Amino acid sequence: MKRYDSQLEIGGTKLRSRLFLGTGRFPNPAVLQQSLEASGAEVITFAVRRVNLDSVEDDSVLQHVEDRSLVYLPNTSGAGNADEAVRIAKLARAAGLGNWIKVEISRDERTLLPDPLETLRATERLVREGFVALPYTSDDPMLCRRLEEAGAAAVMPGGAPIGTGLGILNPYNLGLIAEQSGVPVIVDAGLGSAQDVVQAMELGADGILVNTPVAKAQDPVAMAKAMRLAVEAGRLSAMAGRIPRKPYASASSSTEGALFGGPYAAGSAIEGRRAETSAEGLRR
Amino acid sequence: MKEELLVVGGGIVGLSCAYEAAKRGGRKVTIVDRGDFGGQASGAAAGMLAPYTENSEQPDPFFRLCLDSLRLYPEWAEEIERLSGISVELTHTGSIQVALHEADMLPLRTRQRWQNEWGARAEWLDAADLRRLEPGLSSAAAGGLYCPEESHVYAPKLVKALEAACRRLGVRCAGNAGDTVDLMLDGGRVRLVTGTGGRFEADRVIVCAGAWTGAFERWFGFAVPVNPIRGQICAYHSPIGEVRRMVFTSQAYWVGKRNGTLVCGASEDIAGFDTSVTERGIARLTRWSGRVFPALADRSPVHRWAGLRPATLDGWPLLGPVPGAPQAVVAAGHYRNGILLAPVTAKRICDVLDGKLPAAELAPFAPDRFAASARTLG
Repeated sequence: MKRYDSQLEIGGTKLRSRLFLGTGRFPNPAVLQQSLEASGAEVITFAVRRVNLDSVEDDSVLQHVEDRSLVYLPNTSGAGNADEAVRIAKLARAAGLGNWIKVEISRDERTLLPDPLETLRATERLVREGFVALPYTSDDPMLCRRLEEAGAAAVMPGGAPIGTGLGILNPYNLGLIAEQSGVPVIVDAGLGSAQDVVQAMELGADGILVNTPVAKAQDPVAMAKAMRLAVEAGRLSAMAGRIPRKPYASASSSTEGALFGGPYAAGSAIEGRRAETSAEGLRR
Repeated sequence: MKEELLVVGGGIVGLSCAYEAAKRGGRKVTIVDRGDFGGQASGAAAGMLAPYTENSEQPDPFFRLCLDSLRLYPEWAEEIERLSGISVELTHTGSIQVALHEADMLPLRTRQRWQNEWGARAEWLDAADLRRLEPGLSSAAAGGLYCPEESHVYAPKLVKALEAACRRLGVRCAGNAGDTVDLMLDGGRVRLVTGTGGRFEADRVIVCAGAWTGAFERWFGFAVPVNPIRGQICAYHSPIGEVRRMVFTSQAYWVGKRNGTLVCGASEDIAGFDTSVTERGIARLTRWSGRVFPALADRSPVHRWAGLRPATLDGWPLLGPVPGAPQAVVAAGHYRNGILLAPVTAKRICDVLDGKLPAAELAPFAPDRFAASARTLG
């Protein structure tokens, strides 16, 4: 049974926050630091190809987050097939970036959509090599199931192509993935603003990964905070149980509450309200 | 009577605005700086005019502003050289973004696809092409994107030339005035008081205070979040032609200058207003330099310096009038692109002053665009 306050656990690591932040595209390191702080994110992702693997402490991005206790989720973005992705993952691990890897494989320069077959192949191999593999995948429920069977520590279906901000294009699929998945579902890519994050969490996602909608927002720091609140709001809303959708209006107060002829007609409105919510009022 | 115009800040942006305003005539122009002219970010700049490399994502309004400025450069630079008698060393070398991993190629191809629709004429280089164009590059380089339109200037000479051109045009240059301690914008006038007791009055003001622009929010009446980001940079002795083009990687860039130096930049440090050079900041550049250009591995830089870049929340500059005080205009927050954006900034800002450009045209860069969201965070 999912509980609101239960911690997200991936590959044996318990995480405080369900929001993962990508570090790319930020306008400058001060805004990155402030956004990271405002987001409360504990897991950050970055492209291995952009990192100074020879001396990570020299890296132009990672040097600005080295004081924080963070979980690194290096990604294989730019890889065009499973071989490249596995090579990149090994470079990252050898450089001391840990054994988590976000598998990201694409060969379409226009949409950057993940290649499903290569992603599955890479996931199988990386799991065998002892990596905690989190594949970025299309929002296909069958593929997500196969990735889980291959040993993925979490699945990361995209809402829409990377950086588009189009939101969740197929909520049905995403809901199905969340329902069936035995491993955490982290919705990754394509989200535009807080409402998409709320929707993903209401659909049953366990966490969210965002980068562009924060980094390229007019005020990334404020958007980072909005994303943090949206993860919480969406998760709480999913667990609170929403009302059923109805085709027509139903008044939020009963007809007895009408101004003339109802219980409020005599005496002040405040007294009437108090009476209504008290046991006595309900019996009346 | 001539309109009096005050320009606050004598970096590349302030000097360019003062120069443009004086050139257009009809105004008595005074430019004030807290220290020496030539600025902070400006003095530290490698002078790269690289709108394509600096904007790899999409053709947004900032990219278009950068591109417009690149296209203004040749004529603008020539005019300043003529007036000042100082060469600014505008050099059309083109640039190469090097792919050090096979995985760098896909994003570079994405960039090439959209940028060629915007006149980049970028060409893909395989490893052999790369070796031919830049023989000094490490054999680890897998390929690259060559962008022939990108150029560079020698920033220290450009700011000197601009200052000389300003003086030539009769601009009053008030250096070493100290920080602005008060700015009064009531009654449609401008009254400025500086830390050394300087008092300046004018009809209009352009605030070009770079990394210090955040201090003006108390007089503007809205949040102006600008962070100073220190840039550390160094230069090697290098025979002319050793590195022929501007070379970019994820960690650093290199530009060969006509004075026989190879400039390598730059760090992005968060250190408040501290402009000192640190061992760590330079060492990360030199270690990386040796990897990308093996010949630099056993050479030490001969110059090291630092400056403060003004960074806004979205990385775009603040351009346009101050709401509620139309006699005040802001041109600041250019971060890594002050040298590139100087001509377009000066022309757009003077168009605003001349009533030729509605402020709405500059809406993406509105100085008060962070007013609603900033300070929401406890």
